[in-house]
Amino acid sequence: MSTMVVPHEVHAGDHAHHQQGIFRTYIWSHDHKMIAKQYLLTALFFLIIGGLLALGVRYKIAFPDTGFPLLKYLLPTTMVSEDGIIQPGMYNMLFTMHATVMVFLVVMPLLIGVFGNYLIPLQIGAPDMAFPFYNALSYWLYAISGMMILYSFFVPGGAAAGGWTSYAPLSTTEAYNGTRMGQSLWGLGIFVNGLSSISGAANYITTVINMRAPGMTMMRLPLTVWSLFITALLLLLAVPVLGAAAALLFMDLNIGTHFFTSSNGGDPLLWQHLFWFFGHPEVYIMILPAMGISSEILPVFSRKPVFGYRAMVFAMAAIGILGFIVWGHHMFVSGMNLTLSATFSISTMVIAVPSAIKTFNWLGTVWRGSIRFTTPMLFALAFISMFVIGGLSGIFMASTPVDLFVHHTYFIVAHIHYVLFAGSILNIFAGVYFWFPKMFGRFMNDFWGKIHFVLTFVFLNLTFFPMHNLGLAGMMRRIADPTQYEHLRNLQPLNIFITLSAFALGLSTIIFFVNFFHSMFHGLKAPANPWQSNTLEWTLPSPVTLHGNFEKTPTVYHGPYEYSVPGMESDFLPQDQPAKPGTRVAAH
Amino acid sequence: MYSVRRFAFLGLILFLITTGTICAEVRETNLWWTPDVVTKGGEKIDFLLHLIFWLTAVVFLVTQGVFIYFLIKYRRRRGVPAYYSHGNNSLEIVWTTIPAVIFIALAVYSNRLWNSELRHPAPEGSIPIDIVAYQYGWHIRNPGRDGKLGDFKPVVSPDNWFGLTDSTPGAQSSEAGKDDYQSENLLTVPVGKPVVIHLRSLDVIHAFYVPEFRMYQDVVPGRQIDWVWFEATKPGNFELACSQLCGSGHYNMKAKIAVVPMEDYQKLVAEKSKAALMELEKKKATSLPPDPTVPTVASSR
Repeated sequence: MSTMVVPHEVHAGDHAHHQQGIFRTYIWSHDHKMIAKQYLLTALFFLIIGGLLALGVRYKIAFPDTGFPLLKYLLPTTMVSEDGIIQPGMYNMLFTMHATVMVFLVVMPLLIGVFGNYLIPLQIGAPDMAFPFYNALSYWLYAISGMMILYSFFVPGGAAAGGWTSYAPLSTTEAYNGTRMGQSLWGLGIFVNGLSSISGAANYITTVINMRAPGMTMMRLPLTVWSLFITALLLLLAVPVLGAAAALLFMDLNIGTHFFTSSNGGDPLLWQHLFWFFGHPEVYIMILPAMGISSEILPVFSRKPVFGYRAMVFAMAAIGILGFIVWGHHMFVSGMNLTLSATFSISTMVIAVPSAIKTFNWLGTVWRGSIRFTTPMLFALAFISMFVIGGLSGIFMASTPVDLFVHHTYFIVAHIHYVLFAGSILNIFAGVYFWFPKMFGRFMNDFWGKIHFVLTFVFLNLTFFPMHNLGLAGMMRRIADPTQYEHLRNLQPLNIFITLSAFALGLSTIIFFVNFFHSMFHGLKAPANPWQSNTLEWTLPSPVTLHGNFEKTPTVYHGPYEYSVPGMESDFLPQDQPAKPGTRVAAH
Repeated sequence: MYSVRRFAFLGLILFLITTGTICAEVRETNLWWTPDVVTKGGEKIDFLLHLIFWLTAVVFLVTQGVFIYFLIKYRRRRGVPAYYSHGNNSLEIVWTTIPAVIFIALAVYSNRLWNSELRHPAPEGSIPIDIVAYQYGWHIRNPGRDGKLGDFKPVVSPDNWFGLTDSTPGAQSSEAGKDDYQSENLLTVPVGKPVVIHLRSLDVIHAFYVPEFRMYQDVVPGRQIDWVWFEATKPGNFELACSQLCGSGHYNMKAKIAVVPMEDYQKLVAEKSKAALMELEKKKATSLPPDPTVPTVASSR
């Protein structure tokens, strides 16, 4: 039981702190709850940007020769022709920046910045993060990196256009990409973003290890905290590699080094190894916290303990470890040694096992439950369904000979979006609907939440599922104009269909935004524990206003998922309340 | 509350109708499914693809079926409390072992296929073809009547893109290279004879991708990739697409692939090598005689 009783001076100091002016309260705040909200609003802003970029990509694919008249007033003619037609170079910028924004400025900050910051101290019974200053710094580094990446659209040559993977030497040689400024800003932005991730990760790890309330053993941690803890470890090990790679890319572009150019002793494949050594753990960085959120929401609305808590924890740990030895599966056909491909194929198949275990345990959690279909629950349930699709389609690429056929086609695009949109984003929505009452003291509108859910669920499938077909029919990714190819012309009706669905998906998100901002001020007032949940954040008033969180450090008596314990009147048992003598709760 | 339910129900109906229509369309026209395979060995990849497809389809239907059944059966009902259970270790072992066995079996089978299809040298007597990718197109060098390519250096440069050992006119290449002919964005191969492709790049990473061949390979600058080979089984016209983002002209970096019957191919080669040899004679005649004190690189090899 490694726990630390928090000295009371901390509280006293924080009370004084709370009285400070607007600047210290809203801008340079050291309070993890305010930092979480800063992350939330910033990342939602970038979600709009990233979504608009995606719609630009889809528009160009479906209507390659039809201008979008409005655009010519907004963008220079190097990007958009006189008739408002998106130029191929501009198209490359659109998808490059779509992925960069979504990965580094939306999904990671939402999952890790928002839920990590908000939930870790509250759920482990701590007054704040271990290093509040680093926490504030981490947010501002993220905001600066976002500005850098956005600003790159307005420099000469435009934004980076080498794909979010930025394969060298296209990305590292100005003669090949023509966007030295944009690509350099991309590298810098990623570097600064990495600093933000690293300081956040160090903070989370220290907080979880050192600042748990008395009685909060590791095996009593809510699964959200476990998932964020493992994610933080992955971040700490993987992100420095990306930072180093981005620094080398910057030097290749600007001071004439040749790390990734073959003609001078460098190697283009070195970039891919560095990038994917980060890039594959990154995939799990973006899905583990999402899994944590659904593992938290399912038991609450099934009124049942999570099925196989230990198995869930071990599965996440296994994913974390195996995640570092599968990066080569992005490179089966990259020109690297073919024997290596075979090796990575095996480790990739093995990493599918813990994901399968988690899925079965979620099924076990709803089994014999008493399921309430609230808005957050609907999103969490849909995630499980959709994650099965994303997981199963991964098996196709894990098999080397099949990858020979589907590599770099729309099949991959379908797969990544089933994991990232239907996995991470659905859980982000679930988490926002679920913790909104705690964050802002009000409920989000349930009716519009459900409308949002239905539209999202329908249109995400209509958008992303047909992409599997495009891929199997041989459509390459990152092609500005598929009608240039005879074998792709037949697919154009399907492409138009996908684009229309994508626009509908984009429009449905407006409902979410309106609901979000309206409810923040006019939503139904929420009680302290509206979902009758067990974890510690629900023992506090909604919203949590006290800077030190807890008036008195709570004591934890049992695990977080004691729902429907036989022999008790109420069907939940908060972690800080001892069980009635004679009731049987789980040993850990 | 009722309106939400009705809305959800309508959404579900709409969803089923559209997906149903799409699936029917796919089955009916085969438009949005894999193109027919035209190389030897490609059917093995298709077999594995279909095996995984049916395997995952069954897993998908079973898990979704169970999931939806649970959601309906165990929805909240008055007086029916949830069952208090923290899990079951035997179940955990079962659902760890079964997927592990299936996945590892798949990996082993995949690797056997990978080894048998890719990781062995092209058969004796394959037609070698030299392809050099650049922003944005394909330089292609074909062997003449002797079925052999002339020597070349691994380094390629913009003014000597095939890296020919001696690019000065009159001593174009080694003996075998004299009847080689070049083509731009056009690859012609015969039916029923293995073809081995040597891939190099002049600038950035490109990719050699032909969906009908079930073939993808990155073309990396500084490396020469010699393990790509195929044997076409039926004639036809296909497109070679660059499938690795290579810059603003990437979307249009393509080449025609003509798979022709053997007789046509031989006729074409005879014609082209004759023209190449004549061209060489003409150049020799017009250019100065080579300096005898400087040995040609080709002869020194």
